[in-house]
Amino acid sequence: MNDDEDRPDAGASKSIGIAFDLGLRLGIAVILGLGGGLLLDSWLHTSPIFTLVGMLLGIGAAMYTIWDVARDAMRR
Amino acid sequence: MAAGDALLHVSIKAEELFSIGPLHFTNSMVGALLASAILLILAWVFVRRPELVPGRMQSLIEFPIEWMADIVSGSTSRWRGYVALVIGLFLMILVANWLGLLPGVGTIGLAHTDEAGVKELVPFVRPASADLNFTLGLAIVAFIVFVAWGIRINGVKGYLLELIGEPRYMAPLMFPIHLISEVSRLVSLSMRLFGNVFAGEVLLGTMLALTTAAVFILPLAFFVPAIFLGLELLFGAVQALVFALLAMTYITMAEHEGGHDEEHGAEGHGPSEESATPTTAHAPSPSAS
Repeated sequence: MNDDEDRPDAGASKSIGIAFDLGLRLGIAVILGLGGGLLLDSWLHTSPIFTLVGMLLGIGAAMYTIWDVARDAMRR
Repeated sequence: MAAGDALLHVSIKAEELFSIGPLHFTNSMVGALLASAILLILAWVFVRRPELVPGRMQSLIEFPIEWMADIVSGSTSRWRGYVALVIGLFLMILVANWLGLLPGVGTIGLAHTDEAGVKELVPFVRPASADLNFTLGLAIVAFIVFVAWGIRINGVKGYLLELIGEPRYMAPLMFPIHLISEVSRLVSLSMRLFGNVFAGEVLLGTMLALTTAAVFILPLAFFVPAIFLGLELLFGAVQALVFALLAMTYITMAEHEGGHDEEHGAEGHGPSEESATPTTAHAPSPSAS
């Protein structure tokens, strides 16, 4: 088990982990942005400004997540 | 149908068994304590008399530890700094998930009548991973570690610069985007584990309740739940592995974010390793035989 050939491929393991993670993170990023915007709007009575801003930031964060994961994969 | 009614009772939050002052003791805490006790007993048995030539029991305990250690050792040159956390998370979640498949867990408890007059079962033990508090706790630990790891490797300035992003004049836009992206890791880690384990528990309860109604058809009453129990055994292991691998992936990504890749890793501010070559010397090796 100590031989290098027998060692599980950490790159493949990471890829499996990322595959399980990416889809959920995209949705969560949008929900977090939208939720934060809704909370700010209900607190500051500025509806729908922060809701829209939060939604756009959430979508931006989802896109950034894809780029971040792709950048990490390319580094490897 | 009283038994069937009790089995079909679904509660998203863990039920309180008793409280001591402000501390509310829930059935998922019992599950977490049982899982911890099982791991501690196994560790005690394992370190009490380790054999150079491992027996069956020792090999059984060593296998998941060595397997995970081998995976982590291939991640970065600083793998020794977080291998214990990743293995610990894997074993804790694995035992907590599989605990829910034991007879009596989730099925033996006290009958309780709620405000609406509906009779329901409050189990003594609930699988810890079927409670969001437990999974969120583990995710917060993993989150703190990978943020701290990123700061340790890249420095506070490097970490903050990564959050602000490039070019600097885009900081008002990029900072909240980075922040949402970071927090989404915490939420996704906790929600995935909780969602999968809780859904498994509901599925098992439903299948047991359905087949209890058809108990006179013996093959159906025995085999249908058995199939789902087998699947839950597999899903429990997969979810534990996914959580541990993602914690490892986030730590390695935090290391890379400041521009410290494998080649430059030893030049960072973080803990230096004596060798970038992964070995399994840290782990008890069945191959010693």
